[in-house]
Amino acid sequence: MTELTRRRFTAGALAATGILAAPAVARGKGKPRLVVIGGGPAGATVAKYVAKDSQGAIDVTMVEPLASFTTCFHSNLFLGGFKGWEQITHPYKLASYGVTHVRQMATGIDRDKREVTLADGTKLAYDRLVVAPGIDLKFDSVPGWSEAAAEVMPHAWKPGPQMQLLKAQLDALEDGATIVMVAPPNPYRCPPGPYERASCMAHVLKAKGHTQSRIVIIDPKDRFSKMAAFQEGWQKHYPGMIEWMDPKMHGGLKSVDPAAMTVTTDLETIKADLVNVIPAQMAGRIAREAGLVNETGYCPIDATNMRSKLDPNIYVLGDAAIAGAMPKSAFAANSQAKVVAMMVRGELAGARTFPARYANTCWSVIETDDTIKVGGRYEAKDGAIAEVEGFVSKPGEDAATRRQTSEENIGWYSGITADIFG
Amino acid sequence: MTRSGGIAVLAVLAAQVAAADALRIGDRELGEYLSSECVTCHQLSGRYDGIPSIVGWPPDSFIAILTDYREKRRENPVMRSIAVKFTDEEIAALAAYFGSMAPTTGSLAPKTD
Repeated sequence: MTELTRRRFTAGALAATGILAAPAVARGKGKPRLVVIGGGPAGATVAKYVAKDSQGAIDVTMVEPLASFTTCFHSNLFLGGFKGWEQITHPYKLASYGVTHVRQMATGIDRDKREVTLADGTKLAYDRLVVAPGIDLKFDSVPGWSEAAAEVMPHAWKPGPQMQLLKAQLDALEDGATIVMVAPPNPYRCPPGPYERASCMAHVLKAKGHTQSRIVIIDPKDRFSKMAAFQEGWQKHYPGMIEWMDPKMHGGLKSVDPAAMTVTTDLETIKADLVNVIPAQMAGRIAREAGLVNETGYCPIDATNMRSKLDPNIYVLGDAAIAGAMPKSAFAANSQAKVVAMMVRGELAGARTFPARYANTCWSVIETDDTIKVGGRYEAKDGAIAEVEGFVSKPGEDAATRRQTSEENIGWYSGITADIFG
Repeated sequence: MTRSGGIAVLAVLAAQVAAADALRIGDRELGEYLSSECVTCHQLSGRYDGIPSIVGWPPDSFIAILTDYREKRRENPVMRSIAVKFTDEEIAALAAYFGSMAPTTGSLAPKTD
């Protein structure tokens, strides 16, 4: 028997007796290793909580090219002039918890070898992998539009220069301007986001004294999140400015033309001064290429713990995951992250685990001191994450309630960003 | 017989006292996990930016207030939905966890509204 064979035999015998329960032992490399792909609300929260609570028992590496993260949530407040760019940008402070932040793009996952490949060719071995790449945009979902066309007709649906471009375009508009927003089909990141964005655009136009400008929303959906409260708020604060069109009204989006700045539906061709195209979406590339998605383009997970249904060594959470009744929101991603962190610590360090609890709230600004919210509590039920308690702001709420909700929104942002990044 | 029976009774009593203590004091480890949900909004530092601090509260106040949300005697729908599925043990665990911490900034007085 050669050394290699004997070792294999021994390992096999140990495995057969159940001694090789811990993957770290099986890999023979000392501390168990967690690799986290993505430093957004999902990934950064998992990395922080596993490192913080395992107190060095688990080796935690977060793969994220950025040194600081600009949040999608509250980026509409930047657009509306309520917040500065620096107020929605957060440097990572996770090293103090023991997280190793590798500032590279993850380019591949070898699920058989349990290795992540980085852009420079480095390979990171893992015992458990967290995949939290967020969404990718389907640039081909809107005829006439493309990644290049997004430099003229921005999506601004990912943090960064696209949002700065959209704001520059918005701020340059003169009275009488026409804005067209192409809203996305379900499921997409931040369900109330397009409608909060329209509100924040209207806030800017109103503040500049515009009386003739208008915002047309071409929507492939016949309803949207917090619809009644949004529509009431639009009438109240921006009468006649925001026109929402469902498919029955516009008959379907035919195409956009970035050169002519037009948007054509079955009903009409609109000449616009600003076009914001928010296209259809799917799980981030690395999740798709690693075979972690199903036919929906998103990743199926076990509702009790966010483990991939396609690979027991991988957890997928945040916008890339199919989280049932939970929306694709930062709050939801952060909530799922705490479940994943607990489960990972249970698997790799023998920590106690408890039944998963999930929660979400999404606040949306309509106007200064007028913020609405939707949210709920969720748990695993019949194989999916189901809502067990929900709430939504109603039309007709008094000013004090809306003002309090505005304060809550600001307070939540401080809380969640401290929780994720600091 | 009587004596060993007495010991058994004492053991049962001791177990009951321990269980009652656990409920009153709360399971800190469970509280730590559950608390991760709270700190999404309520900052661990005790800082107030629009959402009240819950760090360093007396456990009795904490239990009373969270129970009021669970029973829908308090208004905020976010807190109602957070509290809806909490058991008494879980509320006690949270009270123990947050009660054991000192705020690093801000005020620690629970709000009464």
